[in-house]
Amino acid sequence: MTGHFFWNGEPVAFQPGETIAAALLRAGIVDLGQPSNAPGGRVFCGIGACQGCVVAVADAAPIEACLTPAQDGLQLGSLPAIGTWHA
Amino acid sequence: MREAPILVVGGGPAGVSAAATLAEAGAPVLLIEQRDQLGGAVHRQPAADSESHVWRPARHRHSWAGLTARLQAATDRIEIRTQSVFLGVDGERRFLFDDRQGGVVFTRRPRAAIIAVGAVETIRPFPGWELPGVMTAGGAQVLLKETGHPLEGPILVAGSGPLLLALSAQLAKAGNPPVAVLERGRPWNAPKALARLALSWAPMSEAAAYAAALALNRVPYRCGTTVTQAEPDGEGLKISIRIGETQALLRVRHLLIHDGIEPNRTGVPLPEPDADVPVLLAGDGREALGADAAILDGHRAAMQVLARFGRADKAAASDEPGLQRARNFQADLARVLRSEPIVPAPETLICRCEGRSYADLAALAEDASAREIRLMGRFGLGACQGRFCGPMIAELRGQPLPAATSPRWPLRPVSVAALARLTTDETE
Amino acid sequence: MKPTRFGPSLYGTNRFGMASSSPFHVAVIGTGIVGASAAHFLAAAGVRVTLLDASGPAAGATGASDGAVSVASKRPGPMMELARHARAFYVRSEQDGLFRGLFHRRSTFLVARTAVEADLVAQHGGDLAAAGERVIEVDRATLLNRIPGLGASVCAALEIPDDGHALGYEITQRLLARSTVRIRRNAPVSEIVMQAGRASGVVTRNEFLPADAVLVAAGIGSAPLLGLGEILIPRKGQMAVTDRATARGPAIDGHLMAASYLAAKRGIVRDNSHIGLVIDPLMTGQFLIGGSREDHRSDHTTDATTIAAILREALDLYPPLAGRRVLRSFAGVRTASRDGLPIVGLHPHRMGVVIATGFEGDGICLGPFMGASAARLVLGERPEVDLSALSPQRFARIEAHA
Repeated sequence: MTGHFFWNGEPVAFQPGETIAAALLRAGIVDLGQPSNAPGGRVFCGIGACQGCVVAVADAAPIEACLTPAQDGLQLGSLPAIGTWHA
Repeated sequence: MREAPILVVGGGPAGVSAAATLAEAGAPVLLIEQRDQLGGAVHRQPAADSESHVWRPARHRHSWAGLTARLQAATDRIEIRTQSVFLGVDGERRFLFDDRQGGVVFTRRPRAAIIAVGAVETIRPFPGWELPGVMTAGGAQVLLKETGHPLEGPILVAGSGPLLLALSAQLAKAGNPPVAVLERGRPWNAPKALARLALSWAPMSEAAAYAAALALNRVPYRCGTTVTQAEPDGEGLKISIRIGETQALLRVRHLLIHDGIEPNRTGVPLPEPDADVPVLLAGDGREALGADAAILDGHRAAMQVLARFGRADKAAASDEPGLQRARNFQADLARVLRSEPIVPAPETLICRCEGRSYADLAALAEDASAREIRLMGRFGLGACQGRFCGPMIAELRGQPLPAATSPRWPLRPVSVAALARLTTDETE
Repeated sequence: MKPTRFGPSLYGTNRFGMASSSPFHVAVIGTGIVGASAAHFLAAAGVRVTLLDASGPAAGATGASDGAVSVASKRPGPMMELARHARAFYVRSEQDGLFRGLFHRRSTFLVARTAVEADLVAQHGGDLAAAGERVIEVDRATLLNRIPGLGASVCAALEIPDDGHALGYEITQRLLARSTVRIRRNAPVSEIVMQAGRASGVVTRNEFLPADAVLVAAGIGSAPLLGLGEILIPRKGQMAVTDRATARGPAIDGHLMAASYLAAKRGIVRDNSHIGLVIDPLMTGQFLIGGSREDHRSDHTTDATTIAAILREALDLYPPLAGRRVLRSFAGVRTASRDGLPIVGLHPHRMGVVIATGFEGDGICLGPFMGASAARLVLGERPEVDLSALSPQRFARIEAHA
């Protein structure tokens, strides 16, 4: 199913079955980090080994963008956190 | 009681070949794959409903079709768990898996295990390799296969090896030919090995097809050329390259690098073919011989397991000639493309996850053990668990890493919540 | 220097009792935090030191520990007293430069999740206060301000603001780097050679290394060298390290120690399946979460069921851990003594042998101070603090019967 997830608050469209990494790159989003956070994140190895494309997920543990299928409504952002998470 | 399955980790050509062989002999199989579809890297399939299909050589398409047909025929004996990441074996000999969809870690005690998790690419680091916009050639290739679309903007491909050629041809055919392909090696320096390579029909005809695609699209392919630095440049990158004695500067959107592949052994259980629960490795995860050899190697491992349980007369020796041919090919390729290693600039990042540079590595005692490099140097303590910097460090310190790093778990980072929800096998 | 029972003259004596021109030579067995500290201070006193380890620096429990330099976690009595001196040693050493950048103040929060736990925490707080420690009662609302996201089951807590944090392998590395000690790696010691009732050296890999005195600080490896019977018990502890919650700096404002940990330390619970929960925020922004307490286990494997149990406890105490991933699991083997107190002092029968081991899970806190104290003992000097409660004399009668 197509849909949108959110990257640092901005909607990003994705094609059915594609990974978060593919959708971000398609949208021209190459730098996955925050300016204050060097070295920044980015898709590098594409197979989940290098952990360069790990992104934060609201209310869940971080995931590799290159391995994870995009889902409608997912709230994603740059590591290490996209805002405090508490009960 | 249900018979414990034989575990196959990895849904690429080696794993699927092993799984099919086992199932065809009547053994129950549990096939674990981290992605949502089988295929591995070389046979990465288009995303579920994708319409664009990237061009691949017919040989590859047929090879994969054959493997999946065998799997299909034996489907009642094979349980396939996708989106499940193998986490290793714990101290109580449980095999652990991270079910990414269910958000839970589950365990099994298999009858035997064949681990076919493929290879990781190696790169020769230079200042700026960590920048957004720099990707591995293999990483770009799996994205291309998945989406059918190339990365946008000017692309430079650099490093060493046949993958550079294959990827560039595929990018060209998909509509975005690279601005150049830079090969570090100088093939004509090893004419005998080059001549032997030329006699290998299948790889050579594939290479010829790629070369033709590049020629058609006027993509320059330069040997003896290397990238020395990448710097941010607005939305893109400024790449410094060295061609012999000359320097040049290129402005691109993406830099795709690749210097070979290494079996993905970091933390993976050591092979124990004669243990109570035999553990074998297969495919590029055991020895980097390529996709064709991986099919043979998966078959070999499966036959070895079957022979161990008396379900086959003898472990098949028929795969060995093919594997040896692949080995010879790889050795000649290495000779043809060999280049002198250079000492990286001190500020070059080695451990990207923890921001540790070559200067930090050089500051450690010459006789520092692997453990001291880790704990005192803080190399490999980050999220990739040394998977990437390990081979780089071994190369830079001139010592091969031990054949396999100590097996440990989790092999890959795993959600605290998923591990807390651990579900052990109900047959225990 | 006045000669003592075995203390040094400026020149050592060789095997034949004749004065030699080489300075007093000490063999220190074990390059963990205790051995490294002892070696450092012996060398500083002008003594020649050879450090031997079966593997290498911090290869044992020191390199597989959490970072607590904590008085809060100690059993009341001599342990709590010694921990206060040991922590002060860290503070002084940080100020005078030896541990600069490696030791940080960090509060310990003793946390209760039930009424029974609250009573235990309160009792322990009373013992700490009686020992002179600053103890602050924290109500839930204040606690939530300090540690946002804390679990709903947390009902009471005490803050011990003067506690601290240091990583064992970093301290060990610093002590070794700032000394002129010779280190022999991969040199397991098989025997302490005695001659006429006093130590004359050690044997490692069939090689005899002469020494005027020997310090045994080899953790669980000490037992075969002591000849005092079964006085050391290995106690395995499994732990996990997570990814970063913050870019740098500790993710929370204190070290969380659950009542379950206190229950184990105070000897109320002695069960190999018991989890003594601690959540240690590392300087990198990661969390170190522990841990199990498995007596008579000296292997270094971890198992999924134990780690999962630790994480379940941790998630209950601090739910934001659900946003984290585990990067690795590991196990350290603590060295406990038969009666629960460390063993520090002169060997009851063997002249020239000093023992410093049995620190159980308190080695990081006590290590540097105990190493410095052991150095004094080797030199025939009185340690800064009365260590008679830890004396190996209490095990003396065993060998007399042997």
